[in-house]
Amino acid sequence: MNLDDIFSVKSVCLVGASREEGKVGNVILKNLRKNFKGEIFLVNPSATEIDGLKCYRDVESLPHSIDLGVISLPSSKAVEAVSSLAKRGCKVCIPVAGGFGEQGDEGRRIEQEMLKTASVAGMRIIGPNCVGVIIPRTGLNTALTTENKSSFPSDGPIGFISQSGALGLLAMDEFSDLGIGFSSFISLGNEIDVDETDMVSTLGGDERTKSIALYLEKIEEIDNFLNECRRISRKKGIVVLKGGQTESGSRATSLHTGSLLRTSFSLNGIFRQNGIIMAQNEVELIDFASAISFSKPINGNRVAVVSSAGGVGVVATDVLENNGFKVSRTSSNLASRLRLKISKIGSPANPIDMTAEATDAQYEGVINELDNSGEFDSILAFVLFQTFGVTEHIIEFLDEYNRADRTPIVVGVIGGGYSRRAIRELTSKGIATFPSVSRAVSAMGALKERGEFLRRFKDGSDSRA
Amino acid sequence: MAVIPELEFKSMLDRLDFRQPRRFLIENPEDYKGEFPAVIKVSSDKITHKTEIGAVVQDIRTMDNFKEVFKSMRSKFPGETLYAEEMARKGVEIIIGLINDKNFGKLLLFGIGGFYSELFRDVTFKKVPIDRYDAEDILSELKFGRIFDGYRGLKVNKEVIVELLLEVSKFANSTDYSQVDFNPVFLYEDGYLIIDAKMII
Repeated sequence: MNLDDIFSVKSVCLVGASREEGKVGNVILKNLRKNFKGEIFLVNPSATEIDGLKCYRDVESLPHSIDLGVISLPSSKAVEAVSSLAKRGCKVCIPVAGGFGEQGDEGRRIEQEMLKTASVAGMRIIGPNCVGVIIPRTGLNTALTTENKSSFPSDGPIGFISQSGALGLLAMDEFSDLGIGFSSFISLGNEIDVDETDMVSTLGGDERTKSIALYLEKIEEIDNFLNECRRISRKKGIVVLKGGQTESGSRATSLHTGSLLRTSFSLNGIFRQNGIIMAQNEVELIDFASAISFSKPINGNRVAVVSSAGGVGVVATDVLENNGFKVSRTSSNLASRLRLKISKIGSPANPIDMTAEATDAQYEGVINELDNSGEFDSILAFVLFQTFGVTEHIIEFLDEYNRADRTPIVVGVIGGGYSRRAIRELTSKGIATFPSVSRAVSAMGALKERGEFLRRFKDGSDSRA
Repeated sequence: MAVIPELEFKSMLDRLDFRQPRRFLIENPEDYKGEFPAVIKVSSDKITHKTEIGAVVQDIRTMDNFKEVFKSMRSKFPGETLYAEEMARKGVEIIIGLINDKNFGKLLLFGIGGFYSELFRDVTFKKVPIDRYDAEDILSELKFGRIFDGYRGLKVNKEVIVELLLEVSKFANSTDYSQVDFNPVFLYEDGYLIIDAKMII
């Protein structure tokens, strides 16, 4: 069975639907009903309808086969539910409850039984002990969180896979609020069947997914995972936040190499080798993934910094230089052309300071000149809406610029409510926008790492082959 | 787990064209035909940290001095094989290591070597085999990687390191081992020398 079907689920069966507010079977029901465009079937032996939807006594009584089954039952009843779903041709099944392998031997036994039943029927299992999946494009949402307290993502380019359901939902809530869209959110739970490597393959094959973000605590078959990431990362960016210690398997420390492996092992070098960009925290995880989805790989360290606030340009320059970028002066030729575009009191060197007299037209003129000059590998533009002459019209220009084959651009917007709304708008247009100097620069670092990795495939072949 | 006698491992590296200081097996001091200063070492299949127990004596300036050191080491390590090497001039010190890890398979370690290496622990690991891009990446990954751009009169040739790393990767791919240390390796403007090498199978 192909996991790709998760993107085209047309019918869902919720086993263990509940009318009781706050119960898992009720939370999922509400989330499912909100946007899902397909059919929803409920199973609950002690109800005839919930919320106006007919309830079936059991899976056997459903009128036809279903694509996805969500099991909201205690582990003791899960095997039976898995088995009956499998018999009805269900393609993917998600037991959300806990009380499985994470609780001990009995739980592990139940997991094995579910797995056996499912694999005989060719049904895949996501979980158990997970918070479900969200596929915005079809409105499929089995998340274990209530809508009044958190925002769910709109459709977008980031595929998000998490071994921690809660951390995943929190990050989704925060970033959805900033206008970032997701192609999918998958909570992996105990991973008795579907694991991180399966999901990288699946998202790798999904055209709408442009980058893949993973929060991982353990990577079971590291070789498979690395190889699959390397294959997929030719086409899409992969960002991993690795929680917890990663232990190497070696204990012998008689030589220096062994003792350094024990004391100083990091996955970073191995990740870089396979096209995986490492994030240090949950903010970087989504920032990097959205930068890769929205902007272009950066090939080289020469950056032009553009702003209407001298101080922002100066700080950005410092942070860039500390992160391996070069903010070199513009050539005298370029400087004289820039001088024609900006205020007399501005500075056409680099960082380019248009001062408080900056306007949309100046931004446009400067960015076009910088792009044409070929002197820079990327542009970091701080669009500061507090500046009198800077308006939302600039977004149109940035959108057009960003879509064209031009020098990669990253936008920084600093400020409160008004600026936040502008960030949402820029982001919804697919422009890589960040709310601080350091986040913008870190995202540029990820784009540069991506550019460095892709050099391996420049002539269409793999450097490793 | 067994230590490969050092001299045996070094001869193997000679045959594979890895660059090392000129080396002489010495049964008598006269067997040494190299330049001074020289170094006398014990080749053992037991000792893996020689310096701490006096199994290596450096900076021997004259033949007279050489004879003295030889005599005292002979009595301190009876029955062990002794050999001497030309003492290499200081270069930028690095460590290259190989380890066959249960979880990750064959890994290559690269790091800043020398006196502060255990303090800074500025190292990176790659899966074997590596390609040219990985080798170049290794140099840019280290915190103190700027040392490869030259430091206080010490200059290195990055292309030399890249070539060396590719050769080590090739060696790693075709050899069975549990751990290998090339430590230290001295880097120069025009080449490198593997000063010490150990292998455990």
